[in-house]
Amino acid sequence: MSKQGGVQYNKIAEIKGPLVIVDDVENAAFDELVEIQTSDGEKRLGKVLEVGNGKAIVQVFEGTTGLSIAGTQAKFVGKVMDLPVSEQLLGRVFDGLGKPKDGLPDPIADKFLDINGEPMNPEQREYPRDFIQTGVSVIDGMLTLVRGQKLPIFSGSGMSHNILAAQIARQASVVGTSDEFAVVFAAIGVQYSESEYFRRSLEESGALKRSVLFLNLADDPAIERIITPRVALTAAEYLAYDLGMHVLVILTDMTNYAEALREISAAREEVPGRKGYPGYLYTDLSTIYERAGRLQGKKGSVTQMPILSMPSDDITHPIPDLTGYITEGQIVLGRDLFRQGIYPPVNILMSLSRIMKDGIGEGKTRADHQEISNQNYDAYSRAQEVRALAGIVGKAGLTGVDLKYLEFGDDFEKKFLSQDLDENRTIEETLALQWDAVSLLPKNELTKVKDKFIDQYYKER
Amino acid sequence: MTSDPKLERTIDKILNQTEVENLSSLKKSFKESLEILSKSQTSLEQEYDRIIDEGKKEAQKIEKQIIGGSDLESRNKQILLVEDSVQKVFEKAIEKIRSTNRDDKYSKLMAFLLAESTNALGTTDVIVYTNSKDKEIVQPLLSKFPDAEFSSDTIDCLGGVEVKSKDGTMTFNNTIDARVDRMKPLIRKDIAKKFGIGH
Repeated sequence: MSKQGGVQYNKIAEIKGPLVIVDDVENAAFDELVEIQTSDGEKRLGKVLEVGNGKAIVQVFEGTTGLSIAGTQAKFVGKVMDLPVSEQLLGRVFDGLGKPKDGLPDPIADKFLDINGEPMNPEQREYPRDFIQTGVSVIDGMLTLVRGQKLPIFSGSGMSHNILAAQIARQASVVGTSDEFAVVFAAIGVQYSESEYFRRSLEESGALKRSVLFLNLADDPAIERIITPRVALTAAEYLAYDLGMHVLVILTDMTNYAEALREISAAREEVPGRKGYPGYLYTDLSTIYERAGRLQGKKGSVTQMPILSMPSDDITHPIPDLTGYITEGQIVLGRDLFRQGIYPPVNILMSLSRIMKDGIGEGKTRADHQEISNQNYDAYSRAQEVRALAGIVGKAGLTGVDLKYLEFGDDFEKKFLSQDLDENRTIEETLALQWDAVSLLPKNELTKVKDKFIDQYYKER
Repeated sequence: MTSDPKLERTIDKILNQTEVENLSSLKKSFKESLEILSKSQTSLEQEYDRIIDEGKKEAQKIEKQIIGGSDLESRNKQILLVEDSVQKVFEKAIEKIRSTNRDDKYSKLMAFLLAESTNALGTTDVIVYTNSKDKEIVQPLLSKFPDAEFSSDTIDCLGGVEVKSKDGTMTFNNTIDARVDRMKPLIRKDIAKKFGIGH
């Protein structure tokens, strides 16, 4: 940090995109918070990206529109950007920079936390093992979310990912424990209607009481999006590690975050990487995703569900591609299912929760959970093959068993996969639906489940 | 009435046969309807349980909604009340600062603020601004800073100094207003603590 915070520099050398270059700067530090004051007294926040040769490059969060070289002043505050945190965060709505957006004053701070987070000692990390019930069958049953996991949703433009995100935020809970649960919701570059939907949805369901919302709208400056997920994660870490809550962080839409990163990178004239994104996109994303987890000796946990819309539904695009390297699986929404009107349109065959096995089973969900999930996965995969075959040879050319699989596929999508927007299913209901689906198949087709479970739950239809 | 016994017998036979058939059909229908009734009893019970379960869920949802909403409402009112009180404390404190005696202690504070400001700018080649009340205290203090110049222009503040480098590139606002502004979040926390809010 600068030797003494509060020095204001009046010599602006250049304004370039979201960046302001300040001349004759001494004692500024990397990441230091900067207050930019316009000639008419308006204040904007920024941070130092680079210092050297008497110059400081400042990234202005609220954008540089309306700034001019003459009359603009930059005050180096002498600290990094921090967030005032306390239990009072719960039930509040903030903008993308963490300023109140609900007409109430700033929360009375218990602490001021650096938004870049404390480095987590890898040695102190605890392996995620406990189940989070989202009330959404396809997630709870087949792509189980585990406390401390980072499980992204890969979607496409126009699909129902935000509706799904709001439903998860309303319904998510930890079962079988009295530990407190909270949701931190960060909307990054969303439309006003979507942000209102999130807010209303949480308010009307009574879930706002245990939630914190950070809303960066599409018409807010793009650069603010760099800060939004960090501010949200700082709040989540406080709730988890200081107050011992289990916190689910939903970040939507991370594609907008990456776009903002590209904008800054282009303004800094950095060598572009794939599709113009900076070469450090992977590293940058990891500084966000790796803030999920559990720590030894701490009661709470931070679970992340970042949502990203894949440009042109392209899963090989750098954003989903690099996200997939860091996270522990992915939930992929399918355009075909969406077009058929199925909600949530989760493409099970492309989705995976890598640490699901550690969060389910006896004592956590139910002893038969893994096996019935595998059986459904297997049967649905076979149903898809049969559908493709029927497209070529027609239904008349299919065997009796094939026809059963065809029937299973339709029934599975209609009864298990499809769910109402306000339908909150318990894990028992979800598992019962999975058994109900496979009960359409002959008993001898159930090769993934033990006989004792078949005897207990299979009811031929 | 016919007198043909053969015809009479035939009619009787047909009547008997029809009667037997009708009775058997009635019995069968009765049996079937009992079966249907018993089956529908089960599905009726299932449907009944389902409706009750859904009703319970809906009731829980509404309960959560009402409790959550009113909890938030009362919490928000508390936040506003605390904020109002904090603001009042601030206003009183500022009033007190405004009417502080310009004594020796205050003069020492000004000397400290001046030293801090030149230190922050990294130069004593500066122009010093202050308000009309502090002019007479600050001006003599500049003797310790030979390169410093005292501005005849005054600034509007509670007290303290604003120091500008002579080339105009750097400013350090070390007025009491700016210092209160910088420390406001921490002071708010301390005041709220007095009201039993926060840790």
